[in-house]
Amino acid sequence: MRDIGADELRAMLEMVAARIAEHRDILNRLDAALGDGDHGSSISGAFDLAVAQVARLPDPEPSDIWLGAARALMNGMGGASGALFGTLFLKGGAALRGKARLSKGDFDTLWNAGLAGVKARGKAAIGDKTMVDALEPAAQAFAACDNFEGAWRAAAAAARTGAQSTRGLVARHGRAKYLGARGKDHQDPGATTIALIFEALDSYERGMTNGKT
Amino acid sequence: MSARKHKLINQPETIVSDMLAGFCAAYGDIARLSADGLVLRAQPKAAGKVGLVIGNGSGHEPAMIGWVGEGLFDVNIAGEIFTAPGPERIVQGIKAADRGGGVLVCVSHHAGDLLNAELALELCELEGIANVDMVVLYDDISSAPKGREPERRGTAGLFFVWKLLGAFCEGDGDLAAAKALAEKARDNTRSLAMSLSSCASPVTGEVMFEIAEDEMEIGMGLHGEMGMGRQKALNASETIDLMLPPILEDLPFQAGDEALVLLNDSGSMTLMELFILYKRVAEKLAAAGISVYKSWIGPYATTQEMAGFALSLCRVDEQLKTLWDAPANGAYMKQI
Repeated sequence: MRDIGADELRAMLEMVAARIAEHRDILNRLDAALGDGDHGSSISGAFDLAVAQVARLPDPEPSDIWLGAARALMNGMGGASGALFGTLFLKGGAALRGKARLSKGDFDTLWNAGLAGVKARGKAAIGDKTMVDALEPAAQAFAACDNFEGAWRAAAAAARTGAQSTRGLVARHGRAKYLGARGKDHQDPGATTIALIFEALDSYERGMTNGKT
Repeated sequence: MSARKHKLINQPETIVSDMLAGFCAAYGDIARLSADGLVLRAQPKAAGKVGLVIGNGSGHEPAMIGWVGEGLFDVNIAGEIFTAPGPERIVQGIKAADRGGGVLVCVSHHAGDLLNAELALELCELEGIANVDMVVLYDDISSAPKGREPERRGTAGLFFVWKLLGAFCEGDGDLAAAKALAEKARDNTRSLAMSLSSCASPVTGEVMFEIAEDEMEIGMGLHGEMGMGRQKALNASETIDLMLPPILEDLPFQAGDEALVLLNDSGSMTLMELFILYKRVAEKLAAAGISVYKSWIGPYATTQEMAGFALSLCRVDEQLKTLWDAPANGAYMKQI
C-alpha cells in the first residue's frame, strides 16, 4: 500500500482550502443562524493562509505541514474555531513527529490524536452540536478501513452524516448554546466544515486512484 | 428600531487596524500601538508590578482599548470583530505586559477567549515564560443558573473587575493576590442585559438576529446572543422592575449592603432613557436598603448599534471601595 509524504500532504491541504472556499457563503449563512455569521469567511481565510505558509516551509516532514496548518488556523482565525481547528491539526501533527512518510496506520493516529485533542480542549462530546459530531464518526470510520481509498470514502460519508445530525440538536457549547432550543433546526457550521475537509481529502484520494488506473 | 447596515468604514479587512490606528492617534498620551498591533500603555507601570493583559474580539468599543492606561490594563490584544485573538498574539501581549512581577491574563468568559488563553498559557510553558496565570471572569445571570456560576458569560459588569483589579495591580500585591482580588470582585458582581433592537455585523453587513418592533429580549449577551426570552416591550420602570429583582436575589444583595451600579448602554440608547431607567434603579435600591457607593451611566461595552442596556451591581467592602477610588486614566475610564 502507498504511503504519503510532505508534498502530497501539501496538495491535500490545498484541496481542503479550495473546497472550503467554494462553500464560504454557505458556511457564513449557517453561522448567521447560530453565531455571528462569519465562520465561512474566517475559516476559508485561515486555510488559505495555511496553504501559503506551508508552501514556504523548506524541506518539511509530514508533521511540519500539519503543525504549520495548525499555527495558521489558530493565529489566522482566532476565536473558538481557531483554537479548536488549530488543535485538531496541532495534536495530529505532534503525534507524527519524525516520520518521513505516513502509512494508513499513521493517519489513524493523526485523526485519533486530533479528535482527542479537540474533545479535551472543547470539553464537547457527541450530541453537543459541535464539530465533534462530524469528527468522531469520521475518525472511527477512517480507522475501521485498512486502505486509504476505502477509509477516505467512509470517513467523508460519516462526517457528512454526522454534520447533518447536528440539525435537531440543542447546542451545549459556544455562542449557539445561548440560543437554546431556538437554534435546534440549524446545522452546526463547525461540523459542516469537518465534513468539507473529509470530502476534500476523499476527492483527492479518488483523483490519485483514477490517475493511476 | 433597526440595525444600521451601512457603516462608515474603509474596507472590512482593515476595520480593526484602522480603528486601532485612529484610537492611538487620538489618545497618544494614554495608549500607543505597538508594531505588532498591541495597544499598550503610553508609560509602562513601574518594574516589579503585576502586568495585566486582556484579549477580546473587537466591535465592543470602547471595550477594551479604552481601558488601557494607568490604574487599568497594561496591554489589550484586539482580535477581529467579535473574535478572540489567537494564542500567539496573546503570548506577544503577555511578553509586552511583563514588568517582572508576573502577568495575569484576564478572560471575559466566552468559548473563544477561554480556549485561546489556555493555548497561550501552554505556549508560555513551552517557551519557558514563567509566572503567568489567567483568571476567568463572568457576571451574566441569564446565561446559567445560580450554583453554576462558572458557566456564565462575561458581560458589561466586568467593568467593575477591570477597574478594581487595575488599581490593585498598581500596588505591591503579587500575581496570586491579583488573581484572588479579581475573583473577589467577580464573585460580588452580577449583571442582566436587555435589548430592543439588533445590530449589523460590520464585516458582513448582515443583521445579527431579528427582533420585532414591539418586543424586547431579556438576557442579551455581548454578541447579540439571545438570553432568557422574548416578550412585549415594557416601559422604563416596568423593565427595571423585571430586571433588578433577579440580580439582587442571585448574589444576594441584602439590606445594608453597599454597591457600585452600572447602567451600560449597548450602543444606541439615549442618555435620556438611561437616566429615566436609573431613576427607578435608585428608587428600588433605596427601598431594598442597599446603598449606592458610586454609579456610572454610559457606553462602556457596546455591541455595535444595538439598542439596549445592561444593569450591573458590584457589592463592595472597604478594600474594594478604596480600590474603586484609586486613580485611573484610560481613554474611556477615568477616576481622579
